[in-house]
Amino acid sequence: MGLLENMQNEPVSRLALREPVTASPDTPLRDAIRRMRDGHLGCVIAVDDRHVPLGMFTESMLTQLLAREPSALDEPLGNHLSDRWPQVKMTDRIADVLGALQRENVPFLCVVDAEGRVAGLAGQKGLMKYVAEHFPQQVMVQRIGGTPYQHQREGA
Amino acid sequence: MSDDSPRDTAADDFQDPLENYEPKSYTDPVERALAEETVEAIQHQPFETISPDTTVSDAVRKLSGLHIACLLVEADGKLVGVFSDRDVLDKVALEYDTVKDRPVREVMTTQPVYVYVTDPAAAALSVMAVSGHRHVPILDLDDRLVGIASPQRVTAFLQRHLGAA
Repeated sequence: MGLLENMQNEPVSRLALREPVTASPDTPLRDAIRRMRDGHLGCVIAVDDRHVPLGMFTESMLTQLLAREPSALDEPLGNHLSDRWPQVKMTDRIADVLGALQRENVPFLCVVDAEGRVAGLAGQKGLMKYVAEHFPQQVMVQRIGGTPYQHQREGA
Repeated sequence: MSDDSPRDTAADDFQDPLENYEPKSYTDPVERALAEETVEAIQHQPFETISPDTTVSDAVRKLSGLHIACLLVEADGKLVGVFSDRDVLDKVALEYDTVKDRPVREVMTTQPVYVYVTDPAAAALSVMAVSGHRHVPILDLDDRLVGIASPQRVTAFLQRHLGAA
């Protein structure tokens, strides 16, 4: 099957999901940022005591906050959650992830299990890896990095 | 000149090494696009640049004001680094009072992974999928900046070709 068919048929669980960084909404924003750093992740998901997501704080929101009000880093995470944090179920199709990322223009999607609890994080990188896996002969062999082309081929 | 001159004989003997070459055929339109279209086919403009001497606070304000995730740092017409939301998270946020008046060169990501505008579109995807960088500067063959590929732009490129399936 081609990429399109696979995206329409395969579930979100087939993606390389990231282990999400979660925190209580009472967590000081500074601590949440430290957890994002430690987890090498660009967002933190605020959850209740059943691990149900309440909202998301992303690195782009952090940039906005620093530019506007740097002192707000001392406030609780719950004061700065996004009111737009799309989520998908583990059983949704990968095509739904692609659609949501494009429609919402967000880098991350919260993935929830059947009980609505946080189960993972889907993002642009995971989607790119999924596409790359389909075309290893094209994607995995590319010259990347700072090796410039030769302007004139030797001997030519 | 006679018909059996050495020059004509050599021409007659010439066998084109590519005469049996058959161009690769693709069944998947996305694979064809990744292989045969160049990075230029991915939307790569507009893009924003700053000088390495820009203060960190000005760079943060520019990212915020333009609602973008990455600035290209350019000196003398050459790419010298990138400054992104991830740099803000990793090197600026918790140290803001200390670093806000410092030049962005001290906190930017140096030696960014880039692609050339003539590279296959697959190269931009490769940087994101294999190297893990979300924003890929694009240079021309004179090493001048001509754009940036973002995940949204690559996703839009993929979706355009998925729709052609």
